[in-house]
Amino acid sequence: MLRFVVRRLIFAIPTLLAVMTVVFVLVRIVPGDPAQTILGDQASAEALQNMRERLGVDRPILEQYVEFMGGALVGDWGESMVTGKPVLAEIARVLPYTIELTVVSLIIGGLIGIPLGAWSALHRNEWIDYVTRVGSLLGLSFPAFVSAILMLIVFSIQLRWLPVISGGDRATFGEWAESLALPALNLGLIMAAYITRVTRSSMLGSLGEDYIRTARAKGVPERVVIWRHGMRNALIPVVTVVGLYLGILIGNSVLTEIVFNRPGLGKLIVGALGQRDYTLLQGLMIIYTFVIVIVNLLTDLTYGLIDPRVKYQ
Amino acid sequence: MTETGKIEPVLDVSNLTTSFRIGGEWHPAVRGISFSLQPNETLALVGESGCGKSMTALSILGLVPKANGRVEAEHIRFQGKDLSRLPDDEMRKIRGNGISMIFQEPMTSLNPVLPIGFQVVEALRYHQKLSRGEGEKRALELLELVKIPSAKSRFKEYPHQFSGGMRQRVMIAMALACRPKVILADEPTTALDVTIQAQILSLLNELKAETDMSMIFITHNLGVVAALADRVAVMYAGDIVEIAGVNELFARPTHPYTEALMRSVPRSDRDTKTLYSIPGAVPPLTRMPQGCRFAARCELAIDVCRTQNPPLDVLGSGGAHSVRCWVRGNHDLAEMKENADV
Ligand SMILES: Nc1ncnc2c1ncn2[C@@H]1O[C@H](COP(=O)(O)OP(=O)(O)OP(=O)(O)O)[C@@H](O)[C@H]1O
Ligand code: SF4
Ligand SMILES: [Mg+2]
Repeated sequence: MLRFVVRRLIFAIPTLLAVMTVVFVLVRIVPGDPAQTILGDQASAEALQNMRERLGVDRPILEQYVEFMGGALVGDWGESMVTGKPVLAEIARVLPYTIELTVVSLIIGGLIGIPLGAWSALHRNEWIDYVTRVGSLLGLSFPAFVSAILMLIVFSIQLRWLPVISGGDRATFGEWAESLALPALNLGLIMAAYITRVTRSSMLGSLGEDYIRTARAKGVPERVVIWRHGMRNALIPVVTVVGLYLGILIGNSVLTEIVFNRPGLGKLIVGALGQRDYTLLQGLMIIYTFVIVIVNLLTDLTYGLIDPRVKYQ
Repeated sequence: MTETGKIEPVLDVSNLTTSFRIGGEWHPAVRGISFSLQPNETLALVGESGCGKSMTALSILGLVPKANGRVEAEHIRFQGKDLSRLPDDEMRKIRGNGISMIFQEPMTSLNPVLPIGFQVVEALRYHQKLSRGEGEKRALELLELVKIPSAKSRFKEYPHQFSGGMRQRVMIAMALACRPKVILADEPTTALDVTIQAQILSLLNELKAETDMSMIFITHNLGVVAALADRVAVMYAGDIVEIAGVNELFARPTHPYTEALMRSVPRSDRDTKTLYSIPGAVPPLTRMPQGCRFAARCELAIDVCRTQNPPLDVLGSGGAHSVRCWVRGNHDLAEMKENADV
């Protein structure tokens, strides 16, 4: 299995190189002069020239490319055009926030979605099933920032259980949990809606299979039939959906980050876009590619845990 | 055997009806059938696809899908209990323990994500108080009993690593695990190729000889019936149309449907190209005719056949051979006609 992981990571290298090249080209064919964007309309010709030199955009394109790729490979992703801080440091600062938000949302989504989906499947076409299906459909179609604001109103303003704006102080576990609770719940509920729906349909599929009848014919208790025999098999499509959604979630968490005022990749990328911070954008796109590669790898590894027919070639 | 009337049957099914709700109405797939199974006897259930063989077996075990299925019976007696009225948790203690079942589809009847050894252990685990080690030891013995080569090293392998024949052996091992009194074998060899079929059949025969279990063997292959069964019940569209000892049935097939089945058996001494097949098809559940269900395909059909379903009549005095047919049963047709006119 370790060999599989290493191979997959090696295979990811050409993908990453290709993405980096595309990003490099894209950033350079975007109309507009980055120096002008940074310094504004009033800048003198001399200042603009200085800035271009500083950014390195005045040199031949091939030279820039070699420098960019070489630097990126050894961890030098250049400096942010706006703040002047190293791109890697900017990303490293917010990455943990994004990861913790994603992981905790995923856990919440799974803990709610899997049992609810199974329950709904077991009570197919009863009122429980209808309520769950309508509820999960609502969860899917509700805009994330609206639910985020509603949560703030209910939990922070009405009930006063949690601070409206977490101070950013995360020294103790309590403070950390307070700052994470609402954003994670917000994204977790959306995740739960997706997971409930897939779990329900894949559970309905697996409960109709012949091996379920076999398990019952052996006198296995119903609870074991459902969870060990039904759920194990039903989880395979669930993992696929979670894997796909995770990629989307990482990119789409920006509104949640804004409403709850927490740092994260989503907010960083929106900021970089607005300010034409090309170097930062370059770095962010590479990180995204890398994250997607890792998520896909984890998805495939999870398949292997559930389904013995999956082979790591 | 039956003449003495002294031997208690292991299983006694009386007036079993299994219905499905289709388009808001209940349609019986099994229509009030009765039969009993003697100790160490093999009763074959034969009939074309869709005649209710599997549903009969599933009804006994209480495994008819609850969503749209319903089982009613006067009684299904097994070890002094009426299975048709047993609560779920009591029924669970009988499944795989007193009565177990082997299914038609070896490729899909095992759970693809659990090791086969574990699946056999599971058949023991909920019925017998065994330690983990004892359970595994017994499961291994069972896999060896059904002749799975190098069972020990294959214990932790998964179903996809086994051929169809080997998977069916695993199914048999699971069914035998708790030494059941009755095995319901639902076409256990239909999905397998001919040589494997023969192996599985001789394995079942051997196992039956070594234990005192009884078997209901479901098949549509009369060749298999001749090799395996003591008694045969022929089913058509949810009815038992003829039931007799195996020698009696082959010597004197009486119901027109049984005769037709016999003519459609491939035989080595005849050209298979001229193989007879019964014209027409079994009527669907939703369009069952009023009279004899076989009337539309029967060469002997007379008027009364189309209006009234014949009762199951005992032929002769032995009581061992019964048939459900106006023409071939013991009916005074002249009298029948008069009654029909009234
Ligand atoms: N879940 C179900 N819902 C509705 N009808 C069903 C259902 N299961 C079975 N039936 C119907 O019940 C009848 C009897 O089915 P059964 O499976 O017992 O046939 P069978 O004799 O075992 O046939 P085969 O040789 O094909 O296995 C068939 O007409 C079938 O269409
Ligand atoms: S009752 Fe009539 S139709 Fe039915 S099998 Fe006998 S002869 Fe044929
Ligand atoms: Mg069947």
